[in-house]
Amino acid sequence: MTLGGSQIDASWFLILSAILFTLGAAGVLVRRNPLVILICIELMLNAVNLTLVTFSRQLQDLEGQLFTLMSITVAAAEAVVGLAILVDIFRTRDVEDVDELSEMKG
Amino acid sequence: MSANQVTLLILLFPAAGAILLAVGGRRLPRIGTAIVGPGVVWASFVATLVLFSNQVKGDFTYWTWIKSGTFQVPFNLLVDNLSIFMCLVITGVGGLIVSYSVGYMEHEDDPSYARFFTYMDVFIFSMLLLVLAGNFVFLIIGWALVGLSSYLLIGFWYQRRSAVLAARKAFVMNTIGDVGMILGAFVLFMTYHQTTFAGVFAAATNWCPPNAMCTLVFHSDSAVLELAAFLLLVGAVAKSAQIPLHTWLPDAMEGPTPVSALIHAATMVTAGIYLIGRMHPIYDVAVYAHNAVAIIGAVTALFAATIAIVQTDIKRVLAYSTMSQIGYMFLAVGIGAYAAAFFHLLAHAFFKALLFMAAGNVIHAMHDEQDMRKYGGLFRQLPRTGGAFLIGSLALVGVIPLVGFFSKEQILGAAFSKGDPLALSVWVIGAVTALITGFYTGRMWWMSFAGKPAPERPVEHPHEAPPVMLVPVLILAALSVVAGFIQTRALGFGPSVVSDYLASAVGHMTWEENSGAVIVGLITMVLSTALFFAAYRFYVERSWKAWSANAPWAQRMLERKYYFDEMYDAAFVRPMDAVASWGARDVEGPVLDGLVVGTGNAAVAAARSLSLTQSGYFRNYVLVFVGGAVVAAVLLLIRVA
Repeated sequence: MTLGGSQIDASWFLILSAILFTLGAAGVLVRRNPLVILICIELMLNAVNLTLVTFSRQLQDLEGQLFTLMSITVAAAEAVVGLAILVDIFRTRDVEDVDELSEMKG
Repeated sequence: MSANQVTLLILLFPAAGAILLAVGGRRLPRIGTAIVGPGVVWASFVATLVLFSNQVKGDFTYWTWIKSGTFQVPFNLLVDNLSIFMCLVITGVGGLIVSYSVGYMEHEDDPSYARFFTYMDVFIFSMLLLVLAGNFVFLIIGWALVGLSSYLLIGFWYQRRSAVLAARKAFVMNTIGDVGMILGAFVLFMTYHQTTFAGVFAAATNWCPPNAMCTLVFHSDSAVLELAAFLLLVGAVAKSAQIPLHTWLPDAMEGPTPVSALIHAATMVTAGIYLIGRMHPIYDVAVYAHNAVAIIGAVTALFAATIAIVQTDIKRVLAYSTMSQIGYMFLAVGIGAYAAAFFHLLAHAFFKALLFMAAGNVIHAMHDEQDMRKYGGLFRQLPRTGGAFLIGSLALVGVIPLVGFFSKEQILGAAFSKGDPLALSVWVIGAVTALITGFYTGRMWWMSFAGKPAPERPVEHPHEAPPVMLVPVLILAALSVVAGFIQTRALGFGPSVVSDYLASAVGHMTWEENSGAVIVGLITMVLSTALFFAAYRFYVERSWKAWSANAPWAQRMLERKYYFDEMYDAAFVRPMDAVASWGARDVEGPVLDGLVVGTGNAAVAAARSLSLTQSGYFRNYVLVFVGGAVVAAVLLLIRVA
């Protein structure tokens, strides 16, 4: 891959994407604030998007980019639904910890 | 109208009457029920008379009822002299008894009144089907239907617990017999692949159908025939209340008295005799089963007569006497004197129906009291009933010239003159039974009608029965007097109408009557008559000490009916109850319920432990999710590597 005239190995992009994904996953696992968890999920999704684009370029195959667009669309929809739920919850009470949202357990 | 249509009419009249009364009995006025009930029986009687006077014989097939490959069941009615003879007894004596019921059941309310005549007509139909059936399937159907109607009529007063128990007992006992019958028919069908009598007899014994000329050639495959004959005998024994399946008959006296007269004296209980007479081509070959018939009959005759000595219920005395007399008939068919058995069947139908109906009149006059010890001195107040009862009693004892003498002594004479050891020993038993019969009959008559009224008698001045209940009794009394003269072979001379008539169906006796039999018969008659009068000394004058004073143990044994009920109770009823309650306690609860409830409990427990994973905490789910993804990734890497 060329960047500013010099070649950058595809593995750098993959490493970055792995770091982002791990950060996102760790965020989802350890953070309690629902809003932050949503953001972390977005982070994981975009890490995967980066991987897809990288491989698309590497393999000279447009399917990867196509899939990324698809993924962004789904992520947008997911964000809308997730945020809508959160807004609705915040309307009735102030939630700082997702553990408080366990009324539906069996 | 052709003969086969008339034959069908015999069956259709009572069937139509039963259906009419069952459907419209509640709306029909009482007088209508009283006309339809007996009327259809008399109509059948007339139809039978038409066949009788035209000498009709034949095997009429109406349609094929079941057809499946080689298995064929036609609906065919066998008309020969035997079935016509039985139909005459059933519809003739039956007509008298059903007419008598019009008066006897007067106190019933309207629905019960109609119900009674419905059952009676069902019974007449079933019994006619039994004797007219030309194949085993319809024989079994008729056989089971008479058992059913007997059950319904014994339990007619279903408000009484004892009546319901007696009905159930009769039904269970009869079902044992039905099973024997059905198995016997199966054996014959499996062997000969025939369901019609004509087919089976032809295949089994080269039997002659009616109106055919042929010589009898006996096959040697009698092991199968022995088995079939023994199984059929089980049915006959149960239906005819012979040892060891007899215990239902005395209890059946719980039913209304006309029922006892019709079903438990004159007709249904003689079905066993009819069966063996009808199956005589088989029994003639199956020697062991045939001998068993004679032995069972002789033993029952003696056994029942001894019990009758100590019974105090007038209907129970008659019930045991019926068992005893049917024992005579079994004895007769067992030694091969078929015609003599059927003559006794006719005679017994006359005098025992007479005795039962006269007893019914007495019971009516005594306001349903059946204990003879509480009667006494009734002859002066009920002269007609008492006179008829005396004629019936003397016929039962076998006094010249009543019909009972000629029929009973012909059986004993046949046994006496046959000469083989078995016939001779059953003759001894039969003769002893005749003496006992004289004694218990005398006891019954003297206790009820002679002497002074008992102090505890329920009615001071009893009234003679109304004409509708008296006329049938008097007709039967007249028949008991004159019917003997149609067959006087017991005296060694004179006509033998019944034997000649039945010869075409059951054959002639294969041996000659011994002239000594006449003398022996007369001696038996004199002795039993003497015992009849001796009973007066025992039970009215009390000038002779009661025999039981010397043997109280014998008295007790007879009163307990040789402990048969107790034995069956111990052998069958109580073990059954024990198994049932063990099952209810130790199997039903712990095992069966345990399995069902246990399955449910296991499912609930499994669900409960699985529900622990549903903590409701987001982090737990995510941890599992991520952990799963990591494991999957590791596995993937391992595979790639």
